[in-house]
Amino acid sequence: MTTEITPVIPVPERAARVFTALAAVATAGTALTAWTWTADFPGDLTFYGSPAGLQWLTLTGGLITAVLTLARYGIPGLRWTSPAGGNNGILLAALGTAAVSWFAIIAIAVDLGGLANLEPGGWLAGLTSLLAVTGALGLPLDRRTADSLGKPNYWWLLAGVVGYAVHHLITRTLRLAKIERKLPPARELPSWAEVLLIIAAFAVGLFAITFGIDTEYGELFTGYLILAGFTVAALAKTGLLQRLRALTVKHRPVATGAAFSAAAAFPFTQTSDQYTSVAANILIFATVALGLNIVVGLAGLLDLGYVAFLGVGAYAAALVSGSPASPIHVAFPFWAAALTGAAAAMVFGVLIGAPTLRLRGDYLAIVTLGFGEIFRITMNNLNGTTGPNVTNGSNGIPRIPDLQILGFDLGKKHLVGGIELGRFSNYYLLMLIITAVVVLVFARVGNSRIGRAWVAIREDETAAEAMGINGFRLKLLAFALGACLAGLAGTVQAHVSYTVTPDQYTFAEALPPNSAFLLAAVILGGMGTISGPLVGATLLFLIPKKLEFLSNYQLLAFGIALIILMRIRPEGLIANRRNQLEFHEPVIPAQSAPEDAVPLTKAGA
Amino acid sequence: MHDLPQQLANGLILGALYGLVAIGYTMVYGIVQLINFAHGEIFMVGGFGALTAYLALPGGTTLWLAVPLMLIAGILVSTLVAVGAERFAYRPLRSAPRLAPLITAIGLSIVLQQLVFSFYPDAKKARVFPKIPGDPFELASVTIQRSDIFLIIAAPICMLILGWFVARTRSGRAMQATSQDPDTAKLMGIDTDRVIVMAFAIGAAFAAVAAVAYGLRTGQVDFRMGFILGLKAFTAAVLGGIGNIYGAMLGGLALGLAEGLATAYIQHIPGMHLFGGGAWKDVWAFVLLIVVLLVRPQGLLGERVADRA
Amino acid sequence: MRHRSALVVSIAVIGALSLSACGSRDEKKAGDTAGGASTTVTIGVDAPLTGDLSALGLGIKNSVDLAVKQANEKNEVPGVKFQIKALDDTAKPAPGQQNATQLVADNSVIGVVGPLNSSVAQSMQQIFNDANLVQISPANTGVALSQGEKWATGTKARPFKSYFRTATTDAVQGPFAAQYLFKDAKKTKVFLIDDQKTYGAGLAATFKGEYTKLGGTIVGEEHVNPDDRDFSAIATKVKTSGADAVYYGGEYPAAGPLSLQLKDAGANIPLMGGDGIQSGDFIKLNPKSQGDLATAVGLPVEQLPTAAKFIADYAAAGYKDKYETYGGYSYDSAWAIIQGVKAVVAANGGKLPEKPREKVVEAVQKISFDGVTGKVSFDEFGDTTNKQLTVYAVKDAAWAVEKSGTFAG
Repeated sequence: MTTEITPVIPVPERAARVFTALAAVATAGTALTAWTWTADFPGDLTFYGSPAGLQWLTLTGGLITAVLTLARYGIPGLRWTSPAGGNNGILLAALGTAAVSWFAIIAIAVDLGGLANLEPGGWLAGLTSLLAVTGALGLPLDRRTADSLGKPNYWWLLAGVVGYAVHHLITRTLRLAKIERKLPPARELPSWAEVLLIIAAFAVGLFAITFGIDTEYGELFTGYLILAGFTVAALAKTGLLQRLRALTVKHRPVATGAAFSAAAAFPFTQTSDQYTSVAANILIFATVALGLNIVVGLAGLLDLGYVAFLGVGAYAAALVSGSPASPIHVAFPFWAAALTGAAAAMVFGVLIGAPTLRLRGDYLAIVTLGFGEIFRITMNNLNGTTGPNVTNGSNGIPRIPDLQILGFDLGKKHLVGGIELGRFSNYYLLMLIITAVVVLVFARVGNSRIGRAWVAIREDETAAEAMGINGFRLKLLAFALGACLAGLAGTVQAHVSYTVTPDQYTFAEALPPNSAFLLAAVILGGMGTISGPLVGATLLFLIPKKLEFLSNYQLLAFGIALIILMRIRPEGLIANRRNQLEFHEPVIPAQSAPEDAVPLTKAGA
Repeated sequence: MHDLPQQLANGLILGALYGLVAIGYTMVYGIVQLINFAHGEIFMVGGFGALTAYLALPGGTTLWLAVPLMLIAGILVSTLVAVGAERFAYRPLRSAPRLAPLITAIGLSIVLQQLVFSFYPDAKKARVFPKIPGDPFELASVTIQRSDIFLIIAAPICMLILGWFVARTRSGRAMQATSQDPDTAKLMGIDTDRVIVMAFAIGAAFAAVAAVAYGLRTGQVDFRMGFILGLKAFTAAVLGGIGNIYGAMLGGLALGLAEGLATAYIQHIPGMHLFGGGAWKDVWAFVLLIVVLLVRPQGLLGERVADRA
Repeated sequence: MRHRSALVVSIAVIGALSLSACGSRDEKKAGDTAGGASTTVTIGVDAPLTGDLSALGLGIKNSVDLAVKQANEKNEVPGVKFQIKALDDTAKPAPGQQNATQLVADNSVIGVVGPLNSSVAQSMQQIFNDANLVQISPANTGVALSQGEKWATGTKARPFKSYFRTATTDAVQGPFAAQYLFKDAKKTKVFLIDDQKTYGAGLAATFKGEYTKLGGTIVGEEHVNPDDRDFSAIATKVKTSGADAVYYGGEYPAAGPLSLQLKDAGANIPLMGGDGIQSGDFIKLNPKSQGDLATAVGLPVEQLPTAAKFIADYAAAGYKDKYETYGGYSYDSAWAIIQGVKAVVAANGGKLPEKPREKVVEAVQKISFDGVTGKVSFDEFGDTTNKQLTVYAVKDAAWAVEKSGTFAG
């Protein structure tokens, strides 16, 4: 693949730059106008001089585009936003702004029934954002050379003329490519300044995530997602994210601390339990996904029934919780219940793992898949008529009492620092501690001798065993550890949702947590990383939840998104460094590239 | 135990249905080592394809004419969807991490279910599928409903055709070669892409036959029917030895028998009265799978493969 | 260099403008709501609005919507306008609980209709109870939800004072069916099948208790997975058991094929179920359904003018989806909340009090009116006092009234 740095629209670079910057600022400015005449559209975009909802997003996008464009002038104080140089970041930011603006225009037209509902301000936003994109296309961009393209792929005609046109536009007209640029060495800063930078970055991150969770209507969330996606891609292109990453690696303890403080600060930004209940469930889901990442990401064991271990933990905790519906009338303190849940899950992990982990390959997949279903069926059956009475069958174990830890009732509201923390805030904070434990376990084990042995087994079990690694024992350890962590999360889940029922633990459903979503969170987020599953789980939780306005099409949209994301980033959103090298540099052109395969098969047929 | 012949017949008929779907899993896995989770949904769209054909026919068309037309329509729809999925969703991921296509498969299965759910008329609930009318046949002590005759005839014919195709034709042998060693097969001039498409297409066609049989048998098709059946069929494929087409059918029959017999007789075993019946049949099928994997890790008919990582 | 500084300045101006503008918007908003003459309160709805139970969920939502619209049209509560806020729980406890917190956080919400599933109710009850927010389920049948876990042994205790339901519990429908099968249909050997779900297993258990008490024999028991559609092994068992009827606890998607496969296997005996199978789809899915039986709550539509009016109004309102099984109960649930609000407003001198939620709970406990499904009022557990039931039988591909009666207990 050969690359070049040329504009898509051949105009003088200076002119393009001025044009882009002015158009971007103008786009931001349109956020101050009224976009529609009626307050019926969510967020009420009828005010002059007072942006709301989607307008804030356009404003932010326009400003980011402007700042990135200006940074290429070398303006002091802005240069840091674009350390790597290159103009692709500007194009991405402009595209993101245009996408958000046009999404808003279309949403207004669809919601209110017709383009007539737009005020001139809305049209202006659409126009200026497109002008900014046009300007960015006039900047020299990193592209593939025209002669390095293969034959056009007419299969896309199957996806309709529009599909083919889009495919053609992306791969043959824009031809965007990635050119590795060396980051210039960062200016030496005193370490307190670097720490401050990290804290500032996490504060921005907290703000962005809080904004996402707090979005009150689906249109705003979709716009947020569009803009966030493009902005992150743009900042990755400009090198700002790499800079930040280097900083966090340098001050890892500070970065970790800042991340957890930011997460712990979330309930304090909320006025009611409305979104903390969502956040608490996100955290449960994310923690379980992280546990699964040990099994799948580190040890390479495909577990399709992982949610069952969450269920084992939850059921164990429910049984010893003192619920009036539990046939065992004991009430353990939380630490004992947590240990019970974790231990029970571990026992099941060993029971399932011991016979099957001796086998190689994908047999584990079907056994775990089967176990997931069997768990649910068995919990249904242990109801007194079709089995011993343990679980109440499909009635489950309801009325699980709230936790009391050291006299602190998690079910009640408490005042902390003048801010009222409700029930779900308490559970959120408790869950955050559990998440921290899992992160700690993951980080310590992953970098230890055992973790390296897991990676060795994952890559090539035969070679690993030849090096003296006991494959079975280590695989069983990974499996049991993963099960144990899921069980731990399950103990909290039981108390948060007040009830455990068999139908909460299924293979695939519309909403997380379930085994398919857990696996998707790990793979989508990035296997073998800590932040990957956390990000993946957050997205997978919020997207179906916030896309309620799509009503019956939300699952459809979700499925399509899964397929497209896997197509674009098969290594996950946050890739393990090694994976990334493996899957984005065609080092071995063998069977991977279809172009190469053509002459070979021609010769044979 | 005097209803044993009847229960055996029930188990075998259900098992043949599993086996037909299992062939799709086993062929795709044998060649690209991909667990095609969307295969259950390919089965489902086949059923809806057949239903569409039936609804398009003028009322009062004799089933002798309708069933073959429905079969053709079902096969057409299933095969098109499967080949399209391979081309657009799986092929671009062939060099991606091993688990990425799995997520694509899960995504695809959601998409197919939702497409039918949202866009097929009235598919939010089960749709009525035609049945072959008339009283059931009585053979000695065994009662067989008329609609099952289709499956009893179709399953062996399908197996014979597939056996002949794989063993005797040029394409079939190319398929075997690719499954044994894709790289060498490619060097020998085999168009492996074509072989993969073929595996998807054949699996889909068999799934469509199974879907018509399922529709006739239960008198309905619904958008979720692929999930449970796909799970069972996948289990059958592993039970029989994944990668082996006869194994898939054998695994299906074994699974169907195990479920039928477990429902009927486990609770008569002393001490097991609480663990029998329909509630536990899936658990016993799972136990069977574990036992088989422990005793014969490669499945009933599978060949021992040194390393299938 | 000139345009560069122009850019910087304009950015700064935009930033300042937008920041300063924030305040003015908030003030305007506050003015808007205070100026309104009548108070608007919200009735929350929690039901599965997407997924495979969405047909039932949308029926619930639309029926509540109809009740609210009619209350506003008729000016049922002077000075108070109603609106609905429908949230989707996808039939799962966790999203249901999040919806519950969302409804609690919205101060205008004065009562909630829902949910459809018992497991969802379990995760919500405590949240609503803590917030003193009245919750009326149109569909939950699990007895323990309102009478405590020990109801079967006779020690009934209501766990949540804010939880009500217009649906009858399993403890009514199952025994009524048992009495009919034994006394009226003279079936003495019944094969009992359920789908292991709360509704189905509950029905089967209560049926069994009453039927054996009456002297009937349960010749066999089976359980199916609600997602299964192949029942050949079970059909064979039924046939060899020599039963002269089957009682099925569960819903029509599985009951249809089950009944069909029973007859295909040569067991020509009727299948009886609860209101979960009393649906036109049961007959559609089952060409051999002639003679199958079902119980349903309330008098037949023909004998109840309120029901006929509801059906006509629902059709006139032009909803895209049918009202389905729980439409009538949902309408009654919403109307019960509206009546509760009416009582609270009347007691407070024609105005809604500052914190009305707790008072609405108390008022709903006392309401009594003629609803779509019959007389609507609640007993000391929050259960409906309506114990009128009707047995239907399939005749010529339609449900025909077989017998109506009141369950005596």
